[in-house]
Amino acid sequence: MKAVEAVNLTKMYSDFKAVDAISFDVDEGQIFGLLGPNGAGKTTTIRVTLTLIKPTSGSITVFGIDCVKSAAAVRQISGYVPQEVSIDTDLTGYENLLMYSKLYYTPKDQRESRIGDALEYMDLADRQHDLAKTYSGGMMRRLEIAQALMNRPKMLFLDEPSIGLDPTAKTAVWEHVKRLRDEFGTTILLTTHDMHEADVLCDEIAIMNRGKIVADGSPEELKASVGGDVISLVAHNGDCSQVLQEHGKLLSSRPEEGAYELVVARGEKAIPSILESLESHKIHVESVSLKKSTLDDVFLKYAGARIQEGGTWKDARLLRRAVRKRG
Amino acid sequence: MMPSLGFFRMMLASGSRYLRTVLTLAEFELRKLRHDSSEIFIRGVQPALWLLVFGVTFASIRAIQTGPFTYLQYLTPGVLAQSVMFVAVFYGIMLVWERDLGLLNKLLSTPAPRSAIVLGKALSAGVRSIFQAIMIFALALIMNVSLTLNPLELMGAIIVIVLGGMCFSCISMCLAPIFKTREKMMGIGQAITMPLFFTSSAIYPIELMPDWLKAIAAVNPLSYVIEAMRTFLIPGYYEYYQPPLLLDIGATLLATAIFATIAALLFRRILE
Ligand SMILES: Nc1ncnc2c1ncn2[C@@H]1O[C@H](COP(=O)(O)OP(=O)(O)O)[C@@H](O)[C@H]1O
Ligand SMILES: [Mg+2]
Repeated sequence: MKAVEAVNLTKMYSDFKAVDAISFDVDEGQIFGLLGPNGAGKTTTIRVTLTLIKPTSGSITVFGIDCVKSAAAVRQISGYVPQEVSIDTDLTGYENLLMYSKLYYTPKDQRESRIGDALEYMDLADRQHDLAKTYSGGMMRRLEIAQALMNRPKMLFLDEPSIGLDPTAKTAVWEHVKRLRDEFGTTILLTTHDMHEADVLCDEIAIMNRGKIVADGSPEELKASVGGDVISLVAHNGDCSQVLQEHGKLLSSRPEEGAYELVVARGEKAIPSILESLESHKIHVESVSLKKSTLDDVFLKYAGARIQEGGTWKDARLLRRAVRKRG
Repeated sequence: MMPSLGFFRMMLASGSRYLRTVLTLAEFELRKLRHDSSEIFIRGVQPALWLLVFGVTFASIRAIQTGPFTYLQYLTPGVLAQSVMFVAVFYGIMLVWERDLGLLNKLLSTPAPRSAIVLGKALSAGVRSIFQAIMIFALALIMNVSLTLNPLELMGAIIVIVLGGMCFSCISMCLAPIFKTREKMMGIGQAITMPLFFTSSAIYPIELMPDWLKAIAAVNPLSYVIEAMRTFLIPGYYEYYQPPLLLDIGATLLATAIFATIAALLFRRILE
Protein backbone atom coordinates (compact mmCIF):
# COMPACT_ATOMS: atom_id res chain seq x y z
CA MET A 1 0.00 0.00 0.00
CA LYS A 2 1.15 3.53 -0.72
CA ALA A 3 1.47 5.89 2.24
CA VAL A 4 0.00 8.75 0.25
CA GLU A 5 -1.65 8.56 -3.12
CA ALA A 6 -2.91 11.65 -4.93
CA VAL A 7 -4.67 11.47 -8.27
CA ASN A 8 -5.48 14.61 -10.24
CA LEU A 9 -5.72 16.60 -7.05
CA THR A 10 -6.98 20.15 -7.58
CA LYS A 11 -7.67 22.96 -5.13
CA MET A 12 -9.18 26.26 -6.20
CA TYR A 13 -9.42 29.39 -4.08
CA SER A 14 -12.45 31.10 -5.67
CA ASP A 15 -11.23 31.13 -9.28
CA PHE A 16 -7.50 30.76 -8.58
CA LYS A 17 -5.98 27.30 -9.05
CA ALA A 18 -3.55 26.89 -6.15
CA VAL A 19 -3.05 23.17 -6.88
CA ASP A 20 -3.55 22.08 -10.46
CA ALA A 21 -4.38 18.41 -11.08
CA ILE A 22 -1.30 16.93 -9.43
CA SER A 23 -0.69 13.21 -9.03
CA PHE A 24 2.01 11.69 -6.86
CA ASP A 25 2.54 8.85 -4.47
CA VAL A 26 4.67 8.33 -1.42
CA ASP A 27 6.07 4.90 -0.48
CA GLU A 28 5.90 3.71 3.08
CA GLY A 29 9.02 4.61 5.07
CA GLN A 30 10.10 7.25 2.58
CA ILE A 31 10.99 10.88 3.08
CA PHE A 32 9.15 12.55 0.24
CA GLY A 33 9.75 16.20 -0.57
CA LEU A 34 7.61 18.76 -2.36
CA LEU A 35 10.15 21.27 -3.61
CA GLY A 36 9.15 24.60 -5.05
CA PRO A 37 9.20 28.38 -4.68
CA ASN A 38 6.76 30.42 -2.61
CA GLY A 39 3.22 30.18 -3.89
CA ALA A 40 3.85 26.89 -5.68
CA GLY A 41 0.96 25.26 -3.80
CA LYS A 42 2.97 23.11 -1.37
CA THR A 43 1.20 24.20 1.81
CA THR A 44 -2.17 23.89 0.12
CA THR A 45 -1.33 20.31 -0.88
CA ILE A 46 -0.40 19.44 2.70
CA ARG A 47 -3.57 21.04 4.07
CA VAL A 48 -5.74 19.08 1.68
CA THR A 49 -3.95 15.85 2.58
CA LEU A 50 -4.40 16.60 6.28
CA THR A 51 -8.13 17.17 5.69
CA LEU A 52 -7.88 20.79 6.87
CA ILE A 53 -9.42 21.93 3.60
CA LYS A 54 -11.39 20.00 1.03
CA PRO A 55 -10.02 19.39 -2.47
CA THR A 56 -12.00 20.91 -5.33
CA SER A 57 -11.57 17.73 -7.36
CA GLY A 58 -9.40 14.63 -7.59
CA SER A 59 -8.72 12.04 -4.93
CA ILE A 60 -6.26 11.70 -2.11
CA THR A 61 -5.68 8.87 0.37
CA VAL A 62 -3.34 8.34 3.33
CA PHE A 63 -2.54 4.67 3.98
CA GLY A 64 -5.58 3.82 1.90
CA ILE A 65 -7.91 6.07 3.93
CA ASP A 66 -9.85 8.61 1.92
CA CYS A 67 -9.06 12.15 3.09
CA VAL A 68 -12.50 13.49 2.23
CA LYS A 69 -14.71 10.63 3.43
CA SER A 70 -12.77 9.62 6.56
CA ALA A 71 -11.13 12.85 7.66
CA ALA A 72 -10.96 12.01 11.39
CA ALA A 73 -9.30 8.64 10.69
CA VAL A 74 -6.63 10.34 8.59
CA ARG A 75 -6.01 12.89 11.31
CA GLN A 76 -5.65 10.19 13.96
CA ILE A 77 -2.66 8.59 12.18
CA SER A 78 -1.07 11.85 11.01
CA GLY A 79 1.34 14.23 12.67
CA TYR A 80 1.66 17.80 11.47
CA VAL A 81 4.17 20.60 11.85
CA PRO A 82 2.77 23.68 10.12
CA GLN A 83 4.97 26.16 8.30
CA GLU A 84 4.30 28.80 10.93
CA VAL A 85 4.23 28.37 14.70
CA SER A 86 2.17 25.56 16.24
CA ILE A 87 3.19 25.69 19.88
CA ASP A 88 1.55 27.90 22.45
CA THR A 89 4.33 30.13 23.71
CA ASP A 90 2.40 30.95 26.90
CA LEU A 91 2.69 27.31 27.99
CA THR A 92 5.79 25.34 28.93
CA GLY A 93 7.35 22.81 26.57
CA TYR A 94 5.99 19.98 28.68
CA GLU A 95 2.48 21.44 28.74
CA ASN A 96 2.49 21.85 24.97
CA LEU A 97 3.12 18.13 24.65
CA LEU A 98 0.65 17.19 27.38
CA MET A 99 -2.09 19.17 25.69
CA TYR A 100 -1.65 17.31 22.41
CA SER A 101 -1.31 13.92 24.01
CA LYS A 102 -4.71 14.62 25.56
CA LEU A 103 -6.18 15.89 22.31
CA TYR A 104 -5.09 12.64 20.65
CA TYR A 105 -6.73 10.67 23.48
CA THR A 106 -3.47 8.93 24.42
CA PRO A 107 -4.23 6.48 27.24
CA LYS A 108 -3.34 8.05 30.57
CA ASP A 109 -0.72 5.46 31.52
CA GLN A 110 1.21 6.07 28.28
CA ARG A 111 1.19 9.86 28.31
CA GLU A 112 4.15 10.51 30.58
CA SER A 113 6.40 8.00 28.85
CA ARG A 114 5.57 9.35 25.41
CA ILE A 115 6.16 12.93 26.49
CA GLY A 116 9.40 11.94 28.22
CA ASP A 117 10.59 10.05 25.15
CA ALA A 118 9.75 12.89 22.79
CA LEU A 119 11.49 15.47 24.99
CA GLU A 120 14.54 13.25 25.29
CA TYR A 121 14.53 12.53 21.60
CA MET A 122 14.37 16.18 20.61
CA ASP A 123 16.95 17.22 23.22
CA LEU A 124 14.53 19.39 25.15
CA ALA A 125 14.29 17.52 28.45
CA ASP A 126 16.34 20.04 30.44
CA ARG A 127 14.16 22.98 29.37
CA GLN A 128 10.77 21.25 29.48
CA HIS A 129 9.39 23.33 32.34
CA ASP A 130 10.33 26.70 30.87
CA LEU A 131 7.73 28.72 28.99
CA ALA A 132 8.11 28.08 25.26
CA LYS A 133 8.48 31.80 24.57
CA THR A 134 11.94 31.63 26.13
CA TYR A 135 13.07 29.02 23.56
CA SER A 136 15.31 29.72 20.57
CA GLY A 137 13.86 29.31 17.07
CA GLY A 138 15.53 25.92 16.69
CA MET A 139 14.21 24.70 20.04
CA MET A 140 10.70 25.83 19.13
CA ARG A 141 10.90 23.87 15.90
CA ARG A 142 12.10 20.78 17.75
CA LEU A 143 9.26 21.17 20.25
CA GLU A 144 6.85 21.39 17.35
CA ILE A 145 8.20 18.15 15.93
CA ALA A 146 7.98 16.54 19.39
CA GLN A 147 4.37 17.75 19.57
CA ALA A 148 3.61 16.13 16.22
CA LEU A 149 4.89 12.80 17.59
CA MET A 150 2.40 12.62 20.48
CA ASN A 151 0.07 10.24 18.63
CA ARG A 152 3.00 8.15 17.28
CA PRO A 153 1.96 9.03 13.71
CA LYS A 154 2.46 6.61 10.84
CA MET A 155 2.52 9.62 8.56
CA LEU A 156 4.26 12.88 9.40
CA PHE A 157 3.74 16.14 7.50
CA LEU A 158 6.43 18.79 7.86
CA ASP A 159 5.74 22.13 6.18
CA GLU A 160 9.07 23.89 5.59
CA PRO A 161 10.68 22.22 8.61
CA SER A 162 13.78 24.39 8.75
CA ILE A 163 12.39 27.69 7.50
CA GLY A 164 13.95 30.68 9.21
CA LEU A 165 16.46 28.66 11.22
CA ASP A 166 20.18 29.34 11.36
CA PRO A 167 22.51 26.72 9.80
CA THR A 168 23.31 24.87 13.05
CA ALA A 169 19.68 24.61 14.10
CA LYS A 170 18.81 23.52 10.57
CA THR A 171 21.31 20.66 10.64
CA ALA A 172 19.99 19.55 14.03
CA VAL A 173 16.42 19.46 12.70
CA TRP A 174 17.55 17.44 9.67
CA GLU A 175 19.29 14.89 11.87
CA HIS A 176 16.15 14.46 13.97
CA VAL A 177 13.93 14.07 10.93
CA LYS A 178 16.21 11.42 9.43
CA ARG A 179 16.30 9.49 12.70
CA LEU A 180 12.51 9.41 12.81
CA ARG A 181 12.45 7.65 9.48
CA ASP A 182 15.40 5.36 10.25
CA GLU A 183 14.41 4.30 13.77
CA PHE A 184 10.63 4.26 13.64
CA GLY A 185 9.98 3.85 9.93
CA THR A 186 7.78 6.96 9.99
CA THR A 187 6.76 8.03 6.52
CA ILE A 188 7.44 11.72 6.05
CA LEU A 189 6.06 14.20 3.56
CA LEU A 190 7.84 17.53 3.74
CA THR A 191 7.77 20.72 1.73
CA THR A 192 10.69 22.99 1.17
CA HIS A 193 11.93 25.78 -1.05
CA ASP A 194 15.50 24.89 -0.07
CA MET A 195 17.30 22.78 -2.69
CA HIS A 196 19.94 21.71 -0.28
CA GLU A 197 17.40 20.57 2.25
CA ALA A 198 15.57 18.50 -0.36
CA ASP A 199 18.88 17.03 -1.48
CA VAL A 200 20.11 15.91 1.95
CA LEU A 201 16.77 14.76 3.38
CA CYS A 202 14.59 13.32 0.67
CA ASP A 203 14.50 9.89 -0.93
CA GLU A 204 12.08 11.17 -3.53
CA ILE A 205 11.29 14.67 -4.71
CA ALA A 206 8.44 16.22 -6.64
CA ILE A 207 9.24 19.63 -8.02
CA MET A 208 6.27 21.96 -7.88
CA ASN A 209 5.73 25.22 -9.66
CA ARG A 210 2.53 27.26 -10.05
CA GLY A 211 0.35 24.45 -8.73
CA LYS A 212 1.81 21.77 -10.99
CA ILE A 213 4.32 19.00 -10.46
CA VAL A 214 6.90 19.60 -13.18
CA ALA A 215 9.29 16.72 -12.43
CA ASP A 216 9.79 13.94 -9.92
CA GLY A 217 12.28 11.28 -8.97
CA SER A 218 15.14 10.67 -6.56
CA PRO A 219 17.59 13.56 -6.17
CA GLU A 220 20.17 11.56 -8.14
CA GLU A 221 17.77 10.79 -10.98
CA LEU A 222 16.70 14.39 -11.19
CA LYS A 223 20.24 15.65 -11.25
CA ALA A 224 21.25 13.04 -13.81
CA SER A 225 18.35 14.21 -15.96
CA VAL A 226 19.93 17.64 -16.35
CA GLY A 227 23.23 16.08 -17.42
CA GLY A 228 24.88 15.13 -14.16
CA ASP A 229 28.21 16.16 -12.60
CA VAL A 230 31.04 17.74 -14.55
CA ILE A 231 34.62 16.53 -13.99
CA SER A 232 37.42 18.76 -15.27
CA LEU A 233 40.94 17.43 -15.41
CA VAL A 234 44.35 18.49 -16.59
CA ALA A 235 46.94 16.02 -17.99
CA HIS A 236 49.73 16.76 -20.46
CA ASN A 237 51.54 13.50 -21.27
CA GLY A 238 49.19 12.00 -23.84
CA ASP A 239 45.64 12.28 -25.20
CA CYS A 240 43.04 11.24 -22.60
CA SER A 241 39.97 11.46 -24.85
CA GLN A 242 39.78 7.74 -25.63
CA VAL A 243 39.99 6.66 -22.03
CA LEU A 244 37.61 9.33 -20.75
CA GLN A 245 34.91 8.41 -23.23
CA GLU A 246 34.63 5.02 -21.58
CA HIS A 247 33.54 6.71 -18.34
CA GLY A 248 31.04 9.28 -19.50
CA LYS A 249 30.16 11.93 -22.02
CA LEU A 250 33.07 14.06 -23.12
CA LEU A 251 32.01 17.68 -22.98
CA SER A 252 35.21 19.27 -24.24
CA SER A 253 38.67 18.02 -25.03
CA ARG A 254 41.73 20.16 -25.81
CA PRO A 255 44.75 17.83 -25.79
CA GLU A 256 47.10 20.67 -26.85
CA GLU A 257 46.24 22.47 -23.58
CA GLY A 258 45.85 19.21 -21.66
CA ALA A 259 42.31 20.21 -20.50
CA TYR A 260 39.27 17.93 -20.57
CA GLU A 261 35.67 18.11 -19.33
CA LEU A 262 33.58 15.01 -18.77
CA VAL A 263 29.93 14.56 -17.68
CA VAL A 264 29.13 11.65 -15.36
CA ALA A 265 26.21 10.62 -13.14
CA ARG A 266 28.00 10.51 -9.77
CA GLY A 267 31.20 12.48 -9.85
CA GLU A 268 32.74 11.39 -6.59
CA LYS A 269 32.32 7.70 -7.49
CA ALA A 270 33.64 8.14 -11.03
CA ILE A 271 36.87 9.99 -10.19
CA PRO A 272 38.84 7.07 -8.63
CA SER A 273 38.14 4.71 -11.51
CA ILE A 274 38.93 7.39 -14.10
CA LEU A 275 42.27 8.04 -12.40
CA GLU A 276 42.98 4.31 -12.31
CA SER A 277 42.27 3.87 -16.04
CA LEU A 278 44.46 6.86 -16.95
CA GLU A 279 47.22 5.54 -14.70
CA SER A 280 47.09 2.17 -16.50
CA HIS A 281 47.57 4.06 -19.81
CA LYS A 282 50.58 5.74 -18.23
CA ILE A 283 48.91 9.15 -18.28
CA HIS A 284 49.69 11.30 -15.30
CA VAL A 285 46.86 13.56 -14.10
CA GLU A 286 48.02 16.91 -12.75
CA SER A 287 44.76 18.21 -11.34
CA VAL A 288 41.11 17.21 -11.18
CA SER A 289 38.03 19.13 -10.08
CA LEU A 290 34.35 18.26 -9.73
CA LYS A 291 31.30 20.45 -10.21
CA LYS A 292 28.24 18.64 -8.96
CA SER A 293 24.93 19.41 -10.57
CA THR A 294 22.41 20.80 -8.14
CA LEU A 295 18.67 20.67 -7.84
CA ASP A 296 18.84 24.32 -8.73
CA ASP A 297 19.88 23.25 -12.24
CA VAL A 298 17.00 20.79 -12.20
CA PHE A 299 14.54 23.47 -11.22
CA LEU A 300 15.89 25.79 -13.87
CA LYS A 301 15.40 23.12 -16.50
CA TYR A 302 11.84 22.11 -15.56
CA ALA A 303 10.35 25.34 -14.29
CA GLY A 304 12.34 27.75 -16.39
CA ALA A 305 13.25 29.86 -13.37
CA ARG A 306 15.40 29.80 -10.29
CA ILE A 307 13.87 29.43 -6.85
CA GLN A 308 14.03 32.76 -5.11
CA GLU A 309 14.35 33.07 -1.41
CA GLY A 310 11.22 35.10 -1.19
CA GLY A 311 9.45 37.15 1.42
CA THR A 312 7.87 34.46 3.53
CA TRP A 313 11.25 33.05 4.39
CA LYS A 314 12.22 36.23 6.19
CA ASP A 315 8.68 36.60 7.52
CA ALA A 316 8.99 33.23 9.24
CA ARG A 317 12.08 34.33 11.10
CA LEU A 318 10.47 37.61 12.11
CA LEU A 319 7.32 35.80 13.20
CA ARG A 320 9.30 33.56 15.52
CA ARG A 321 11.07 36.56 17.00
CA ALA A 322 7.77 38.35 17.49
CA VAL A 323 6.28 35.36 19.27
CA ARG A 324 9.30 35.14 21.52
CA LYS A 325 9.06 38.76 22.54
CA ARG A 326 5.33 38.75 23.09
CA GLY A 327 4.86 38.83 26.83
CA MET B 1 -34.66 -3.37 15.17
CA MET B 2 -33.00 -2.61 18.52
CA PRO B 3 -29.76 -0.67 18.33
CA SER B 4 -27.01 -3.04 19.51
CA LEU B 5 -25.00 -2.69 22.68
CA GLY B 6 -21.98 -1.94 20.51
CA PHE B 7 -23.76 1.07 19.12
CA PHE B 8 -24.40 2.48 22.59
CA ARG B 9 -20.84 1.78 23.61
CA MET B 10 -19.61 3.64 20.54
CA MET B 11 -21.85 6.60 21.29
CA LEU B 12 -20.63 6.65 24.85
CA ALA B 13 -16.98 6.50 23.78
CA SER B 14 -17.34 9.33 21.27
CA GLY B 15 -19.30 11.35 23.82
CA SER B 16 -16.53 10.97 26.33
CA ARG B 17 -13.90 11.94 23.74
CA TYR B 18 -15.98 14.98 22.87
CA LEU B 19 -16.14 16.06 26.49
CA ARG B 20 -12.44 15.40 27.01
CA THR B 21 -11.55 17.70 24.10
CA VAL B 22 -13.68 20.49 25.54
CA LEU B 23 -12.23 20.08 29.02
CA THR B 24 -8.63 19.81 27.76
CA LEU B 25 -8.87 23.16 25.99
CA ALA B 26 -10.28 24.80 29.13
CA GLU B 27 -7.61 23.14 31.31
CA PHE B 28 -4.79 24.66 29.30
CA GLU B 29 -6.46 28.06 29.35
CA LEU B 30 -6.33 27.80 33.14
CA ARG B 31 -2.67 26.82 33.01
CA LYS B 32 -1.93 29.89 30.87
CA LEU B 33 -3.69 32.05 33.44
CA ARG B 34 -1.58 30.50 36.16
CA HIS B 35 1.63 31.34 34.29
CA ASP B 36 0.59 34.91 33.69
CA SER B 37 -2.43 36.58 35.21
CA SER B 38 -1.40 40.17 34.47
CA GLU B 39 -3.99 40.39 31.70
CA ILE B 40 -6.79 39.97 34.23
CA PHE B 41 -5.59 43.10 35.99
CA ILE B 42 -5.05 45.12 32.83
CA ARG B 43 -8.53 44.21 31.65
CA GLY B 44 -9.86 45.08 35.08
CA VAL B 45 -8.97 48.75 34.76
CA GLN B 46 -11.90 49.74 32.56
CA PRO B 47 -14.65 48.09 34.63
CA ALA B 48 -13.02 49.49 37.75
CA LEU B 49 -13.37 52.98 36.27
CA TRP B 50 -17.03 52.33 35.52
CA LEU B 51 -17.61 51.50 39.15
CA LEU B 52 -15.34 54.09 40.72
CA VAL B 53 -16.09 57.08 38.50
CA PHE B 54 -19.40 56.53 36.72
CA GLY B 55 -20.98 54.50 39.51
CA VAL B 56 -19.98 56.76 42.36
CA THR B 57 -20.99 59.92 40.47
CA PHE B 58 -24.39 58.64 39.41
CA ALA B 59 -25.03 57.24 42.86
CA SER B 60 -24.43 60.62 44.42
CA ILE B 61 -26.59 62.60 41.98
CA ARG B 62 -29.34 59.96 42.20
CA ALA B 63 -30.21 60.37 38.54
CA ILE B 64 -31.36 56.81 38.00
CA GLN B 65 -34.13 55.23 40.01
CA THR B 66 -33.27 51.68 41.06
CA GLY B 67 -35.99 50.93 43.59
CA PRO B 68 -34.88 50.07 47.11
CA PHE B 69 -31.33 49.23 45.95
CA THR B 70 -28.38 51.60 45.79
CA TYR B 71 -27.17 52.55 42.34
CA LEU B 72 -23.81 50.85 42.94
CA GLN B 73 -25.60 47.64 43.91
CA TYR B 74 -27.55 47.90 40.70
CA LEU B 75 -24.53 48.77 38.55
CA THR B 76 -22.05 46.15 39.82
CA PRO B 77 -23.67 43.12 38.12
CA GLY B 78 -23.95 45.21 34.94
CA VAL B 79 -20.26 46.08 34.97
CA LEU B 80 -19.43 42.48 35.83
CA ALA B 81 -21.37 41.22 32.84
CA GLN B 82 -19.82 43.89 30.64
CA SER B 83 -16.31 42.81 31.57
CA VAL B 84 -17.23 39.19 30.88
CA MET B 85 -18.45 40.27 27.46
CA PHE B 86 -15.22 42.17 26.76
CA VAL B 87 -13.10 39.17 27.73
CA ALA B 88 -15.21 36.82 25.64
CA VAL B 89 -15.38 38.96 22.51
CA PHE B 90 -11.60 38.80 22.43
CA TYR B 91 -11.76 35.07 21.64
CA GLY B 92 -12.83 35.64 18.05
CA ILE B 93 -9.86 37.95 17.56
CA MET B 94 -7.64 35.33 19.15
CA LEU B 95 -8.98 32.72 16.75
CA VAL B 96 -7.80 34.82 13.80
CA TRP B 97 -4.45 35.41 15.50
CA GLU B 98 -4.04 31.68 16.09
CA ARG B 99 -4.97 31.02 12.47
CA ASP B 100 -2.28 33.45 11.30
CA LEU B 101 0.29 31.83 13.56
CA GLY B 102 -0.49 28.23 12.60
CA LEU B 103 -1.82 27.17 16.03
CA LEU B 104 -5.32 26.75 14.70
CA ASN B 105 -4.20 24.60 11.77
CA LYS B 106 -2.39 22.42 14.25
CA LEU B 107 -5.43 22.18 16.52
CA LEU B 108 -7.67 21.26 13.60
CA SER B 109 -5.24 18.54 12.51
CA THR B 110 -6.19 16.50 15.59
CA PRO B 111 -9.10 14.04 15.40
CA ALA B 112 -11.17 16.29 17.69
CA PRO B 113 -14.53 17.30 16.17
CA ARG B 114 -14.77 20.97 15.10
CA SER B 115 -17.71 21.65 17.37
CA ALA B 116 -15.80 20.29 20.38
CA ILE B 117 -13.03 22.76 19.58
CA VAL B 118 -15.54 25.61 19.39
CA LEU B 119 -17.09 24.60 22.71
CA GLY B 120 -13.64 24.16 24.24
CA LYS B 121 -12.69 27.69 23.23
CA ALA B 122 -16.02 28.96 24.56
CA LEU B 123 -15.51 27.20 27.87
CA SER B 124 -12.01 28.71 28.03
CA ALA B 125 -13.61 32.12 27.69
CA GLY B 126 -16.03 31.18 30.46
CA VAL B 127 -13.20 30.09 32.74
CA ARG B 128 -11.23 33.27 32.14
CA SER B 129 -14.39 35.29 32.74
CA ILE B 130 -14.69 33.84 36.25
CA PHE B 131 -11.34 35.29 37.23
CA GLN B 132 -12.15 38.63 35.65
CA ALA B 133 -15.44 38.71 37.56
CA ILE B 134 -13.81 37.77 40.86
CA MET B 135 -11.55 40.77 40.55
CA ILE B 136 -14.46 43.17 40.01
CA PHE B 137 -16.52 41.49 42.71
CA ALA B 138 -13.65 42.01 45.15
CA LEU B 139 -13.38 45.66 44.15
CA ALA B 140 -17.09 46.15 44.73
CA LEU B 141 -16.81 44.57 48.19
CA ILE B 142 -13.91 46.91 48.99
CA MET B 143 -16.12 49.83 47.89
CA ASN B 144 -18.60 48.57 50.46
CA VAL B 145 -21.26 47.65 47.92
CA SER B 146 -23.67 45.26 49.59
CA LEU B 147 -23.64 42.00 47.58
CA THR B 148 -24.53 38.46 48.48
CA LEU B 149 -21.95 36.21 50.13
CA ASN B 150 -24.23 33.20 50.18
CA PRO B 151 -22.22 30.34 48.59
CA LEU B 152 -25.22 28.95 46.72
CA GLU B 153 -26.07 32.31 45.18
CA LEU B 154 -22.41 32.84 44.33
CA MET B 155 -22.37 29.44 42.63
CA GLY B 156 -25.40 30.54 40.63
CA ALA B 157 -23.64 33.74 39.64
CA ILE B 158 -20.54 31.78 38.54
CA ILE B 159 -22.66 29.54 36.34
CA VAL B 160 -24.21 32.62 34.73
CA ILE B 161 -20.76 34.14 34.24
CA VAL B 162 -19.48 30.98 32.50
CA LEU B 163 -22.59 30.86 30.34
CA GLY B 164 -22.24 34.55 29.49
CA GLY B 165 -18.57 34.09 28.58
CA MET B 166 -19.47 31.14 26.38
CA CYS B 167 -22.29 33.03 24.70
CA PHE B 168 -20.28 36.13 23.79
CA SER B 169 -17.21 34.17 22.73
CA CYS B 170 -19.43 32.13 20.40
CA ILE B 171 -20.83 35.32 18.88
CA SER B 172 -17.27 36.48 18.34
CA MET B 173 -16.27 33.10 16.88
CA CYS B 174 -19.18 33.34 14.45
CA LEU B 175 -17.78 36.61 13.16
CA ALA B 176 -14.15 35.45 12.85
CA PRO B 177 -14.69 33.17 9.82
CA ILE B 178 -16.63 35.97 8.12
CA PHE B 179 -14.22 38.84 8.65
CA LYS B 180 -11.03 36.76 8.75
CA THR B 181 -8.42 39.48 9.42
CA ARG B 182 -7.25 40.68 12.79
CA GLU B 183 -7.77 44.35 11.97
CA LYS B 184 -11.37 43.82 10.89
CA MET B 185 -12.08 41.68 13.94
CA MET B 186 -10.69 44.34 16.28
CA GLY B 187 -12.98 46.88 14.66
CA ILE B 188 -15.95 44.53 14.78
CA GLY B 189 -15.20 43.74 18.42
CA GLN B 190 -15.53 47.41 19.31
CA ALA B 191 -18.45 47.91 16.98
CA ILE B 192 -20.55 45.27 18.72
CA THR B 193 -19.53 45.50 22.38
CA MET B 194 -20.43 49.14 22.91
CA PRO B 195 -23.90 48.95 21.33
CA LEU B 196 -24.60 45.70 23.20
CA PHE B 197 -23.60 47.41 26.42
CA PHE B 198 -25.69 50.56 25.95
CA THR B 199 -28.76 48.70 24.70
CA SER B 200 -28.74 46.42 27.73
CA SER B 201 -29.93 47.03 31.25
CA ALA B 202 -26.32 47.38 32.46
CA ILE B 203 -26.48 51.03 33.54
CA TYR B 204 -30.21 51.81 33.58
CA PRO B 205 -33.34 49.73 34.14
CA ILE B 206 -35.22 48.62 31.04
CA GLU B 207 -38.40 50.33 32.34
CA LEU B 208 -36.71 53.72 31.92
CA MET B 209 -35.85 53.09 28.26
CA PRO B 210 -37.82 54.53 25.32
CA ASP B 211 -39.85 51.88 23.50
CA TRP B 212 -37.49 51.39 20.55
CA LEU B 213 -34.62 50.73 22.97
CA LYS B 214 -36.77 48.36 24.98
CA ALA B 215 -37.30 46.30 21.83
CA ILE B 216 -33.57 46.06 21.25
CA ALA B 217 -32.85 45.27 24.89
CA ALA B 218 -35.34 42.41 24.70
CA VAL B 219 -33.24 40.60 22.09
CA ASN B 220 -29.89 41.58 23.58
CA PRO B 221 -28.39 38.52 25.31
CA LEU B 222 -26.42 40.79 27.62
CA SER B 223 -29.66 41.96 29.27
CA TYR B 224 -30.55 38.41 30.23
CA VAL B 225 -27.08 37.72 31.60
CA ILE B 226 -27.22 40.93 33.64
CA GLU B 227 -30.69 40.28 35.04
CA ALA B 228 -29.69 36.75 36.09
CA MET B 229 -26.57 38.15 37.76
CA ARG B 230 -28.60 40.77 39.64
CA THR B 231 -30.97 38.09 40.81
CA PHE B 232 -28.10 36.11 42.26
CA LEU B 233 -25.87 38.91 43.52
CA ILE B 234 -28.14 41.62 44.98
CA PRO B 235 -29.67 40.60 48.32
CA GLY B 236 -33.45 41.04 48.20
CA TYR B 237 -33.58 41.56 44.41
CA TYR B 238 -35.54 38.39 43.75
CA GLU B 239 -38.05 39.06 46.51
CA TYR B 240 -38.64 42.64 45.34
CA TYR B 241 -38.86 42.22 41.55
CA GLN B 242 -39.73 38.51 41.18
CA PRO B 243 -37.55 38.44 38.02
CA PRO B 244 -38.03 35.51 35.62
CA LEU B 245 -34.73 33.82 36.52
CA LEU B 246 -35.40 30.67 34.52
CA LEU B 247 -36.25 32.74 31.44
CA ASP B 248 -33.05 34.74 31.84
CA ILE B 249 -30.88 31.65 32.14
CA GLY B 250 -32.86 29.85 29.46
CA ALA B 251 -32.44 32.76 27.03
CA THR B 252 -28.67 32.84 27.67
CA LEU B 253 -28.44 29.09 27.14
CA LEU B 254 -30.46 29.29 23.95
CA ALA B 255 -28.32 32.15 22.59
CA THR B 256 -25.16 30.18 23.45
CA ALA B 257 -26.48 27.08 21.70
CA ILE B 258 -27.48 29.01 18.58
CA PHE B 259 -24.21 30.91 18.26
CA ALA B 260 -22.10 27.83 19.08
CA THR B 261 -23.85 25.94 16.29
CA ILE B 262 -23.32 28.75 13.79
CA ALA B 263 -19.67 29.10 14.85
CA ALA B 264 -19.09 25.36 14.42
CA LEU B 265 -20.71 25.40 10.99
CA LEU B 266 -18.67 28.39 9.82
CA PHE B 267 -15.44 27.24 11.47
CA ARG B 268 -13.92 25.53 8.43
CA ARG B 269 -14.18 28.77 6.46
CA ILE B 270 -11.62 30.49 8.64
CA LEU B 271 -8.85 28.39 7.04
CA GLU B 272 -9.95 28.99 3.46
N1 LIG C 1 -6.66 30.96 1.86
C1 LIG C 1 -6.27 31.33 0.62
N2 LIG C 1 -7.07 32.07 -0.15
C2 LIG C 1 -6.69 32.44 -1.39
N3 LIG C 1 -5.51 32.13 -1.95
C3 LIG C 1 -4.65 31.39 -1.22
C4 LIG C 1 -4.98 30.95 0.10
N4 LIG C 1 -3.95 30.23 0.58
C5 LIG C 1 -3.01 30.23 -0.40
N5 LIG C 1 -3.43 30.92 -1.47
C6 LIG C 1 -2.69 31.11 -2.72
O1 LIG C 1 -2.43 29.84 -3.26
C7 LIG C 1 -1.12 29.79 -3.79
C8 LIG C 1 -0.37 28.63 -3.18
O2 LIG C 1 -0.12 28.90 -1.83
P1 LIG C 1 0.64 27.89 -0.89
O3 LIG C 1 0.03 26.56 -0.99
O4 LIG C 1 0.71 28.51 0.46
O5 LIG C 1 2.08 27.86 -1.55
P2 LIG C 1 3.49 27.43 -0.95
O6 LIG C 1 3.25 26.73 0.34
O7 LIG C 1 4.07 26.55 -1.99
O8 LIG C 1 4.28 28.67 -0.76
C9 LIG C 1 -0.48 31.13 -3.51
O9 LIG C 1 -0.53 31.90 -4.70
C10 LIG C 1 -1.34 31.73 -2.46
O10 LIG C 1 -1.39 33.13 -2.56
MG1 LIG D 1 4.03 27.13 2.17
